[in-house]
Amino acid sequence: MMKGVIRVELFKILRQSKTLYALVAIFIIEGFVLVSAYYQGTEIIDLLLANLKDTFEFKGDLLNGNLIIYMILNSLWFHIPLILMIIVSGFLTSEYKDRTIEAVLLQPVSKTKFIGSKYLVSSLFTLLVVFLLAISTFGISYLVFGKGDLVVYLNGLNFYPTEEAFWRLASAFAVGTLSMLFFSLVSLTFAVLFKDATKTWIVSAIFLVCTNLLLKIDFDNSILNRFFYSKLIDSWQYYFYYEIPYEKIYINMSVLFLYCVFVSIAGIIVFKKRDLLP
Amino acid sequence: MKYSFLIISWFTFFNSYGQQIDQDLANVRGRLDSIESFTADIVMDVDISFINMPTKHGKVSYQRGKGSKISSKDFIMLPKRGLDLTMEDIFKYPFITVQRGLENTEGVLCKVLNIIPTSEKADFSIATIHLDQNTSRIIKLQVSTKKEGVYTSLLSYSNAKTILPSLIEVLFEVSNIKIPLQFLGKETEVDKEAMKEDGAKTGRILLRLEQMVIVP
Repeated sequence: MMKGVIRVELFKILRQSKTLYALVAIFIIEGFVLVSAYYQGTEIIDLLLANLKDTFEFKGDLLNGNLIIYMILNSLWFHIPLILMIIVSGFLTSEYKDRTIEAVLLQPVSKTKFIGSKYLVSSLFTLLVVFLLAISTFGISYLVFGKGDLVVYLNGLNFYPTEEAFWRLASAFAVGTLSMLFFSLVSLTFAVLFKDATKTWIVSAIFLVCTNLLLKIDFDNSILNRFFYSKLIDSWQYYFYYEIPYEKIYINMSVLFLYCVFVSIAGIIVFKKRDLLP
Repeated sequence: MKYSFLIISWFTFFNSYGQQIDQDLANVRGRLDSIESFTADIVMDVDISFINMPTKHGKVSYQRGKGSKISSKDFIMLPKRGLDLTMEDIFKYPFITVQRGLENTEGVLCKVLNIIPTSEKADFSIATIHLDQNTSRIIKLQVSTKKEGVYTSLLSYSNAKTILPSLIEVLFEVSNIKIPLQFLGKETEVDKEAMKEDGAKTGRILLRLEQMVIVP
């Protein structure tokens, strides 16, 4: 039965024109970021190496596909969650708006299975978007800018050879996917709470902005500083430390996964208890 | 009058002494000048406190009159000075030498000489060279350049005969990098006290030369 509900939800997503619009929007943003990354990349390299130019000669090109991917990776963690939150929350708010939710639940489908399938399909959609984004980012960057060593400034100037840069970037994308998943699930929970699309989008956008601000704020509490959700969102950056703190990454991912589960369960419980009418 | 005589004598003595090029240095120069070309694989390690760079590999090729060329498929950082294996930059313009006695350098009793260029075109003001008189080789070289600071090269050799080193350690001053805050990544610590201090630090590059082929 659950499989059937999931299949229907997937069908709905694929048939909705806004899904296509959203995907196109993501790739347009990626294109803009790619172009700006190219120009910004030159500036960043000049800045990073300015003091060293008096002492050193450099052989090889640091403005390559790996640096562009790294810069895209840095730029996308605001734009992509925003679009994902709009689309994913729309999966439910459109059902409220069109009153299709009532038609669905008149069928022998439990509220838990219905909303559960929404969370599951939203997760699959998020994974698909990030996967497509990663494939296109790597593909275009390597095709246009070629491969080469990656230079990153994190507690020092770190240089990574091409092969190492690739797996660090790929791992960062993989870890970043969980952050994207968190934002998607939060937006769906907001959709459960607010039902209305505009309200949900506004709250989602505020949530995203606050998360980015909270990321930089130093709490006067070590537990909050370590495990508050906003502090876990950019765990993917740890892959660009010269010595990767794997244990910290695994703990952060586990805690963020628990946040995802908590947010989803909260949404399911609220949905079960609330009236269907908008 | 007495003092004038002493001053003139002092200058005359050191001038006549300094004008001559030291014979041991001339021997080393002769050995280095006999190299027509050479090629070698290079393995390079960078040791600078604020730079993390893995070991780099490349190739060096030298042709007399054309200088050295270093190539690598990786990105590499090479110190602008200190890798002049044939000392072309030091011997390029006329110079005088001044003996500074003997000194134990890296376990070898060396003759220490100052090289002072007599041409304004030279890009260094003074160089101190430590020579192994027995093998006619340079063990240590310290050069005060006009624009690129002071650098020191320590040279080690794989056998008693070869004129070119198999290991070069270059020490130099390097300014710390200053990054605007917007480029600082996650949890990048900003050490305000350290930033207030002078940014110059000592850097070290270790260059190993392998599979060397010298054409005399």
